[in-house]
Amino acid sequence: MAAEAWAGLALALLLAAPPFLPPYFLEILISVMLFGYLGAAWNILGGYAGQFSFGHAAYFGIGAYTSTLLFLRLGITPWLGMVAGGVLAAAFGLFAGYLSFRYGLRGPYFSLVTLAFAEMLRVVAVNTKAAGSSLGLVIPTRTPAPLDFVFAGKLPYYYVILAMAVGAVWITRRLERSKLGYSLRAIRENEDAAEAAGVDALGMKLRAMAASSFLTALGGTFYAQYFAYIDPTITFGPAVSIQGLLQAIVGGAGTVLGPLLGSFVLTPLSELSRAALRGRAGVDVMVYGLVLMLVISFLPQGLMGALRRRPRPS
Amino acid sequence: MRRERVSRRAFLQTAGAVAALGALPAIGRAQAKEVKLGYILPMTGPLAFEAQLSLNGLQLALDEVNNAGGIKSLEGAKLTLLPGDTQQKVELGNSEAARLIDQGVSALIGPFSSLVAYSVRQVTEKNRTPFMLLAAVADNLTEGGLRYVFRVQPNGKAMSTLTMNNMIEMAKAAGVAIKRVAMMHEDGNFGTTMGNHVESFAGKLGYTLVQRIPYNLKSPDFTAELSKVKAAKPDLLVISGYYGDSKIIAETAAKLRIGVHALVGLANAAYSNPKFIADNRELTDNLFDGNYWHNPQSPRAKAVFDAYQKRFNATLTSHGVQAYTVIGVLRDALERAASTDRDKLRDAIARTNLADHILPQDAIKFDDTGENANASPALLQVQNGRPVVVGPARFAEAKPVFPVPKWHG
Amino acid sequence: MTGDLLLQAAVSGFLLGGVYGLVASGLSLIFGVLRIINFAHGAVMMLGMYAAYWLFTLLGVDPYLCVLITGPAFFALGMVVQRVVIEPNRRAAEHNQLLLTLGLALFLENLALVLWQGDFRTVRPAYAGASFVIGDALVEVPRLVACAGAVVMALALFAFLRLTDVGKAIRALSEEPEGAMLMGIDVRRIRAVAFGIGAGCVAVAGALVTPFFYVAPDVGESFNIMAFVVVVLGGMGNFVGALAGGFIVGLAESLGATLLPGSLKQLVVFALFVLVLLFRPAGLFGGGHGR
Repeated sequence: MAAEAWAGLALALLLAAPPFLPPYFLEILISVMLFGYLGAAWNILGGYAGQFSFGHAAYFGIGAYTSTLLFLRLGITPWLGMVAGGVLAAAFGLFAGYLSFRYGLRGPYFSLVTLAFAEMLRVVAVNTKAAGSSLGLVIPTRTPAPLDFVFAGKLPYYYVILAMAVGAVWITRRLERSKLGYSLRAIRENEDAAEAAGVDALGMKLRAMAASSFLTALGGTFYAQYFAYIDPTITFGPAVSIQGLLQAIVGGAGTVLGPLLGSFVLTPLSELSRAALRGRAGVDVMVYGLVLMLVISFLPQGLMGALRRRPRPS
Repeated sequence: MRRERVSRRAFLQTAGAVAALGALPAIGRAQAKEVKLGYILPMTGPLAFEAQLSLNGLQLALDEVNNAGGIKSLEGAKLTLLPGDTQQKVELGNSEAARLIDQGVSALIGPFSSLVAYSVRQVTEKNRTPFMLLAAVADNLTEGGLRYVFRVQPNGKAMSTLTMNNMIEMAKAAGVAIKRVAMMHEDGNFGTTMGNHVESFAGKLGYTLVQRIPYNLKSPDFTAELSKVKAAKPDLLVISGYYGDSKIIAETAAKLRIGVHALVGLANAAYSNPKFIADNRELTDNLFDGNYWHNPQSPRAKAVFDAYQKRFNATLTSHGVQAYTVIGVLRDALERAASTDRDKLRDAIARTNLADHILPQDAIKFDDTGENANASPALLQVQNGRPVVVGPARFAEAKPVFPVPKWHG
Repeated sequence: MTGDLLLQAAVSGFLLGGVYGLVASGLSLIFGVLRIINFAHGAVMMLGMYAAYWLFTLLGVDPYLCVLITGPAFFALGMVVQRVVIEPNRRAAEHNQLLLTLGLALFLENLALVLWQGDFRTVRPAYAGASFVIGDALVEVPRLVACAGAVVMALALFAFLRLTDVGKAIRALSEEPEGAMLMGIDVRRIRAVAFGIGAGCVAVAGALVTPFFYVAPDVGESFNIMAFVVVVLGGMGNFVGALAGGFIVGLAESLGATLLPGSLKQLVVFALFVLVLLFRPAGLFGGGHGR
């Protein structure tokens, strides 16, 4: 069966099944969708443009804090706040990206500078009383108000993140087949050669950065509305950055379905190992680290890469 | 392993009760019931160790009540404890709470993490189930007009204001006025909460906060921060921190001869921690700490400590003390309510006036937000390698050493 | 008044910087030869600290002396880890190698958690409380010894790299990978040795730090990120630069703590980091692999 058919079947299941799922499974599914979404957003810059960002938490946090502060202080609905957050994040991404790309940072150097930016934002958030400092921001429980991105029960949130994830996949697919996509792939393979061939590497990379950071910020707003609590570590901490890129890498960076596939494997894996390896604290993460090393070693192209290598019936 | 034992015990108790019900001939007399209580704790995950300590305290208290004949006003109904594991996650906290409520618990105990508590209290409120907070310290948990949330231990505000007050009173008794206070706290949720209180109550308690320094708890060096403190010439240095950072601060402060009358921990994870004291004898001498504790003057407390030691082969800690007390409050309320009905139980809890407890405070009474109105931290000082209670005066087991010479230049 | 504070900041920052420098030297060596950013560096340091703790607690070995045991032991362990985990992935994409070391870090940190639980442990030998004063500035003896030990270790490393055949081979591989292979250097062995030396250095740094710090599974994190900053400052692959960079970062952090409110001192270090990355990616002293 072609990849499209599988994806279609999966989508149908994802649309129809959740109302019948027990609450615990629905929660896991929402996590899967969220991390897959973040992976897809990261993938645009990391997988397609080949710029490996270790600090996407910066955009996640900007999105979360922007929409939440606008909601709590000015009563602006998070649906709008989300867009504002995305724009701010994109602006920050362009700023950081311009500095980094203009000064020729590539590979691990680029990764490290993105990590530094995210950490700096975290420290600023911790020391800013107006944003709640370490106590964070709580979205007080309230009666459901769909216009304010507040729903009763989990199911509506699920469909929101499903829509976001599907949207991110669709955007990735369009990107892949667009001129920008081709340019990015050329840059990823060999930036100098691409430049020599007339590609405006700086401009292309910045476009990828803007899209990637905008989308990541939307995920931040979703998180804030769903969990109703954010603080500097949850939003700007390295865990968020790593979550996003792991889904993409394990699933297959630079592929359309990779991040989502990666999340479908990794998220339940960490849940299962936590449940199965109860007893001593740390065993589950230890196993997770081991699995990560094994996956990286034996599936360097990620899961999509492994699937593609299978011989197809002609 | 211990967890399985507990579950099996709970199961056996329930099974035993059911079997007894079946065996008794129907003589027109009300059968002995059981009262189901549920707990939700992070039994797996990084806080598993502390959660187990709390569970031990719950279990000890429970068995004590049952062995003494159960709830008399319910014809000797025994207490049973149904388990729940939150893994420190909000979603699990909610689902476990919902599950236990479905299984008919009269009250819920837990959940450690303030974040989890913030969410679970809505579940318990919706289901009109009394929720006895355990270890969750955030002040906002009792806000919002909820009727079913109760907290026995002192919250952040009580912890800070009463500790500062205890120090000021103690200093006054020694002829020293506390006018200038410096505070260092870790920059996370815990430290910032304490710092905010110490700052906002400065005027009311009569001191000026001359220096407030949040710090990153992973930092290996605090010399620069402590120099700033020394330059501000405070009378006291208050520290809300965790184990490692508190150690480095105490170490460097001593060497800098920071010039304060005393170093005071505020809910500090290290300064009244017996293991920390044992590992760092010379360093910890005469450190103060305002923290959760038991009443050392209470003969019942001594009996409880002995019982705990005998059963678990370990020393009772504050976690266990708080858990033990929560069961005591529930038992007392059940006796007065004479019912397992949740609403009646809730009303009985709200009217609690319990003097027979082992905490360093007057009677346990709840205000209309559900906080223990008389909650009081103990003021401890390390003397001869042991943390001893030196305040409030009526609970003290030793006289404080104040001012502490080693901090002076 | 401020003069006193600045002097104190300079002294304590300098002392801490020596340790940062030693940790970073190992990291710089690993990067120079293997071209990977080793995220597991802090975790290895943490294991080195546990080793020092157990040797002290069970056998009464002084932490400063135990480096004679832990240094070589971790060197050997490092070589094994390189051979088993890293070498097979030598040709993998850079980001994959990064994630590999990340997975290793997660594994090692949680291995420590499983084996020894999360409670903090301290090593407090008799001299831990010793200190003296220079002018108005406090010098804590354990920190001074750690700094001195780090510098000695780093100098020994440089001597090794300059004077021995293996050291020269390492430098050759670091500066000119293709040329080194053509010269007949056993590059596989050299890579293992380089990683081993890096691991040994950071384990020694860990032992030096235990008398004034504490031991817990996540304790490596305090030094991990600092090590990256120092390596970039000093120039990736520039070992002398790493030591000098350590002092600079230590000073910057300490001065930041003195002059800025709150916990913003971290900001100073990161700002420095970003500035160097942007404007002098070959490091402040050049000689590193830029960009």
